[in-house]
Amino acid sequence: MTPNIAIVHVNYLGGANFRLWLPLFLLWIPAIVLAPFILLALLIACTISGVPFWRSIATIWALLCSLPGTDVRVVTEGNRVLVRIL
Amino acid sequence: MNENRKQILDMLAAGRITADEAERLIAALDPEPGAKNTGPTTHRKYLRVLVEADESMAGNKGMTTVNVRVPMQLLRAGVRLAALIPQQAHNQLDRALSSHGIPLTLSQIKPENLEELIDHLDDLTVDVDGKDGNTAKVRVFCE
Repeated sequence: MTPNIAIVHVNYLGGANFRLWLPLFLLWIPAIVLAPFILLALLIACTISGVPFWRSIATIWALLCSLPGTDVRVVTEGNRVLVRIL
Repeated sequence: MNENRKQILDMLAAGRITADEAERLIAALDPEPGAKNTGPTTHRKYLRVLVEADESMAGNKGMTTVNVRVPMQLLRAGVRLAALIPQQAHNQLDRALSSHGIPLTLSQIKPENLEELIDHLDDLTVDVDGKDGNTAKVRVFCE
């Protein structure tokens, strides 16, 4: 499954705090619209670098689909940053 | 004697862990032959990296903690991505890594290597002592 939502929490001690829920699934709209150009650019890049086109698509897709579940939390001097991909 | 076992025995000798804890750690390092295949790597879904750094000597207040959870699938896809890197770029990367003291040949990393690494990576803890007196504890494990 491709990533649907990214959650970003930033808590600065005595500063700005914000929580963002980024709807990544909405990126499908521009991705589908731009798909011919993206695929063409990828095809050209693969041809130039000698990388198999279909294999690179499969790998990029595998990377995208394996992103959900990624969770990064950093706390330093009372400041907190959380990035989570669902 | 491998490095992990020696580290456990050193911790026991230093009195940082009890004999029971040492026994459990050694047992975890060296599972019974029949037990090795009972926990297939496919059941481990995430790689966790926990870093707790005490940087008070550098002027920072309190601990810095980093908690990273990476899906195993992402690591596998990353290895597949590495296989797509052209040979010329591989050579450049290998040279750059070597010049930074990391003698790693990227082209030799195969998905099987990753599975083998996961098999052996039950729980690894590394204590880092910085030259300026800062300390850090890095724990890497699969769950």
